[in-house]
Amino acid sequence: MSISAPAVTAQPASGWANRLAHLRLIPRIETYPSVVLFAQTDLGKLVMLVLFGLGLAYTGKDWWPLSIWLTLTTFLPDRRRLIVTAGTLSLAYLTQPSVHKAILITLILVVAGVLLRCAALWPRSLYGRRPLAFLLSGFVTLVVLASCISADATIYQPMWDFALTLATYVWFIGYSLLDRNAPDRDGFTLQVGTYRPFWGSTNTPFVKGAAYLRRIEARHAEGLAVTQLKGLKLLTWLIMVSFFGKFYDYCIYDRLHVPLFDHALSLSVSRAPLPWYTCWASLIAGFLGSIISITIWGNRFVACCRMAGFNALRNTYRPLSSRTVAEFFNRYYFYFKELLVEFFFYPTFLRYFKRNRRLRLITATFAAACFGNALFHFCRDLTFVQKLGLPGALVGFQVYLFYCVALATAISISQLRKRDPNAAGFIRGQLLPSVSVALFYCLLDIFGSTQRNYPLTEHFRFLAHLFNINI
Amino acid sequence: MNQSEEIREFVKKLLALKGDRQPFSDSSSIFLSGRLGSVDAVEVVVLLEDRFGIDFAEIGFDQALIDSIEAIQSLIRTAGTRS
Repeated sequence: MSISAPAVTAQPASGWANRLAHLRLIPRIETYPSVVLFAQTDLGKLVMLVLFGLGLAYTGKDWWPLSIWLTLTTFLPDRRRLIVTAGTLSLAYLTQPSVHKAILITLILVVAGVLLRCAALWPRSLYGRRPLAFLLSGFVTLVVLASCISADATIYQPMWDFALTLATYVWFIGYSLLDRNAPDRDGFTLQVGTYRPFWGSTNTPFVKGAAYLRRIEARHAEGLAVTQLKGLKLLTWLIMVSFFGKFYDYCIYDRLHVPLFDHALSLSVSRAPLPWYTCWASLIAGFLGSIISITIWGNRFVACCRMAGFNALRNTYRPLSSRTVAEFFNRYYFYFKELLVEFFFYPTFLRYFKRNRRLRLITATFAAACFGNALFHFCRDLTFVQKLGLPGALVGFQVYLFYCVALATAISISQLRKRDPNAAGFIRGQLLPSVSVALFYCLLDIFGSTQRNYPLTEHFRFLAHLFNINI
Repeated sequence: MNQSEEIREFVKKLLALKGDRQPFSDSSSIFLSGRLGSVDAVEVVVLLEDRFGIDFAEIGFDQALIDSIEAIQSLIRTAGTRS
């Protein structure tokens, strides 16, 4: 599903709805020839970098190292990928609190290098054919072994430190392994530049791996100018969203005193629930707040990536305009969805149940949205395994597991249903489907916790209370 | 209808389902540009499997292989040579 510029519209709605749908707060400056020409000059580049740096300073404290590396990629475009690697490594090492952590990162880079080399040397071996499966099963085995070791053993802490650091790199290494057979694949030096790149990332690789960077890299001066102007526009947009977010928080939480969702849930658990309508307000406010939040931090990474000369797609793009559950999943957190699709959906879809179209789609969707999603979050929060032990962490994971099953079921249904592009009118064609989808995700958010605070039954109790059913 | 036209019509239909009626050339990027997404890629995969006998499990799948009409045609030619 598209999340780029072309707007997804049911049917052209008439009047105010149409005008609202096409309203542009930020003009498309990348289409103005004079602006694009100016952005190609040294002065133009400098102006863009200064403006971008100011925007970065407003949205985070890491503006100055980012600005340095972005200046280098702007003025030395022929060395762009190497500069990305240099920036990524410098930030990876300089921001570590101890030498110990820096050694761990080095060790993980060595492991990544060995894995890639082995996959290239023996492409027809069992490992060479399924390196990703080996990487993930090897990582899970490491976690299981670490959780079996007594806390008094000397190997306990080093093993956990290694596992916890590897957890932050495993999906990045996975993208490199996916790139192993590409005829134009990058060497390890350039692959490393995509491992938690300097423009920022979570455990989800922003923006995917080296293969994607190769394809979206600006090839000439005009392309770079257009990409950077789009980066500047995106940063401007997320600053506007951040202003709106502050206003939203002020109105919802300071003036209307809507309780935070976690607070409403904890009161429900302690058998002193808030009125059902307040719980609704809390849930909806939290859901909309999460959209504002992800729009800001996710698109900041993408804006920096664009400024570095890579025309990456946005991470969050009009999720509330989605008319299907699958479309929302794509528009809400694009790079996480892409991870699930590339690591789990495609491998399953291309191998299994080829003769049964529906079963094939459902299996692949469950492999991605359920299994992959659960595995990603379980691996992300490894500290719970260290703290609660593997059985305790697995039991506590029941809530998020339910979330994954419900999400995969809904996405499967959404994909199997025929889309109706001719649904007439704004209300039937756009508004009702969008509200239904948003409502589904809003309710699903009740089960979106990975914190292992309460059992699944407490989340169901909260859900029932929303409909004034007290159990 | 020849091979190119068939693919072009198929892609056009997928774009139309998303409300995208912008024109596209044979070299236009349709996936990496974000006009179509991963779920739409599945539709193209199924077409190529059913109609042209391409087995992606064997050759490996990458969205870049089907990113434009030209890329799809090249893939079909390569697969034809291989078999």
